[in-house]
Amino acid sequence: MHWLLLASDATNNSAYSYFPIGIQLIFAAGFVAFMIALSQWVGPKRKTNDKLQNFTSGIASHGDARQPMAIKYFLVAILFVLFDVEVIFFYPYAVNFRELGWAGFGAVVMFVSFFLLGFIYIIKKGALKWED
Amino acid sequence: MNAIILSALGGIVMMFTGIFTQNKIVIKNIAIITLLLLLIGNLLHFYGIYMLHVDVKDMLQFNNFGLFFNTIAFTSTLIYFLLSGTDITKVGINVAEYFALIFFVLCGVSILTSFHNLLMLFLGIEILSIPLYILTGADKKNLKSNEAALKYFLMGSFSTGILLMGIALLYGASGNFSIESVPSTTSKVAEMANSSILTPLGLLFVFVALLFKVSAAPFHFWVPDVYDGAPSVFTSFMATIAKAVGFIAFIFLFESRIAELGPSSRIIIPFVIILTLLIGNITAVFQQSVKRMLAYSSIAQAGFMLFVLYSNNDISSEGILLYSVAYSFATIGIFAILIKMKDYTFEGYNGLAKKEPLIAAANTIFLLSLAGIPLTAGFFAKYYMLLSAIKANGQNALWLVIVAVLFAAVSVYYYFRVIQAMYFKEGNPEIATTNTSFKVILLALAAIIIFIGLFPTVVLNFLYF
Repeated sequence: MHWLLLASDATNNSAYSYFPIGIQLIFAAGFVAFMIALSQWVGPKRKTNDKLQNFTSGIASHGDARQPMAIKYFLVAILFVLFDVEVIFFYPYAVNFRELGWAGFGAVVMFVSFFLLGFIYIIKKGALKWED
Repeated sequence: MNAIILSALGGIVMMFTGIFTQNKIVIKNIAIITLLLLLIGNLLHFYGIYMLHVDVKDMLQFNNFGLFFNTIAFTSTLIYFLLSGTDITKVGINVAEYFALIFFVLCGVSILTSFHNLLMLFLGIEILSIPLYILTGADKKNLKSNEAALKYFLMGSFSTGILLMGIALLYGASGNFSIESVPSTTSKVAEMANSSILTPLGLLFVFVALLFKVSAAPFHFWVPDVYDGAPSVFTSFMATIAKAVGFIAFIFLFESRIAELGPSSRIIIPFVIILTLLIGNITAVFQQSVKRMLAYSSIAQAGFMLFVLYSNNDISSEGILLYSVAYSFATIGIFAILIKMKDYTFEGYNGLAKKEPLIAAANTIFLLSLAGIPLTAGFFAKYYMLLSAIKANGQNALWLVIVAVLFAAVSVYYYFRVIQAMYFKEGNPEIATTNTSFKVILLALAAIIIFIGLFPTVVLNFLYF
């Protein structure tokens, strides 16, 4: 027998258990398609030149997208990601707070202090200075 | 443990040094002092003195072999700082960060010399590689440096992907990340697939990824461009310490598992060795730039170091340590001189012996050591590697040894071209002014290489303390 099927047998599941999920998937896709079609069909249409233009965030686009951008946008974005990930580590810690005890607390404090050092470093280096 | 903690802390100390001072001499001296502390901390580990008692859950295991390699790596870095420290401060404006990144590389080195778990192997390789990508592109105004950094980064991340795929397959086969082969009964996948394909395939993937890191053929294509494009000071570091540690990782991983690669391992390893020796040596002959020649020679030297996988016994373990010392010391010396030269081509060395007799003499000893001429450390390094192959496989290994010796003879040609240019050609080489301490350290390094060439057991005795 195929090993995937064996694996599902062992945990007392079968392909049939996934049937409701399949229905949900079909329903979700169908609902979205239905709503889009409905709004196209029922809604009022007034085609103007302005409406057919591309825009981002309400601002009409102009020029080529491939032009140099100031590095500070990327810097802020990447630093945000870096410090955002720190928060993710707190969730598993919060769940296991009691079991890990003081040793876990020490480890987390060390982790946070390393991050704090990094934060002080980027501020002192002027990575977050917006005005030149 | 000391080495891992201290090198990471050393990196952070260097980062903050850059905030408080811009004085290049101060930064360089702080780096040297921090490195000395790191070296002492590592030596204390030999005597069982630890900074922190950390329960590493058997993910790291410390033995004399790994600690001794740490000592070699840190000593090489110390020599490198003393010889080329001033040149590191000249690469760009973020002087302290260059030293910080070098300390982070050393942190990766310390993890790779003690890992006992595939996750730690991955972590070590990444901590080692990422600072190297940045150092390669440190010369931001130079287009070649940028190109090299991008190439290195793309190729390096691709090989990391292969490594992770291999680790995933090994996990699937055994149900744990241990580097020892523990046939597990808990893994469902292993039971179903009978684990007959997963383990050899996973090991092959990890093998390929590590071959990439040690720049062995056929995964060497990034080496010439990266080594040539990177600032020369950092090429020196990349080609020595960061490369030799790859072989240590190889040994730890494949010591017990090489047979599991399947019967094909008997074909793959000699094939890789010969291909590496062939491509490295033959291509080095045609180079016009000494820096590029050294890049190919480093591929060729990797071919000799790969014998450690072929023979996989006590002599080869001793040999790889000796090889690391001989190769790192000599290469650091050659690069320290190369950095001072204005013209990197062979013609740039014309007549150096007349202008700077001491530097030319030291350079000659380093080149002789790389070529493996007797009375230098390089001779015994190569001798041990070849001896281990004979000890491991007897007569069957003889053809491989003969091929290796022939290629060593080829390597003499391009190493001697530099010596010939220095001594037998007329010219006026442009070399940056060097102070007395540079020459003293250079000659001391040359003396050490000759000393090891005379008494190789002195180095190895440290292993059995």
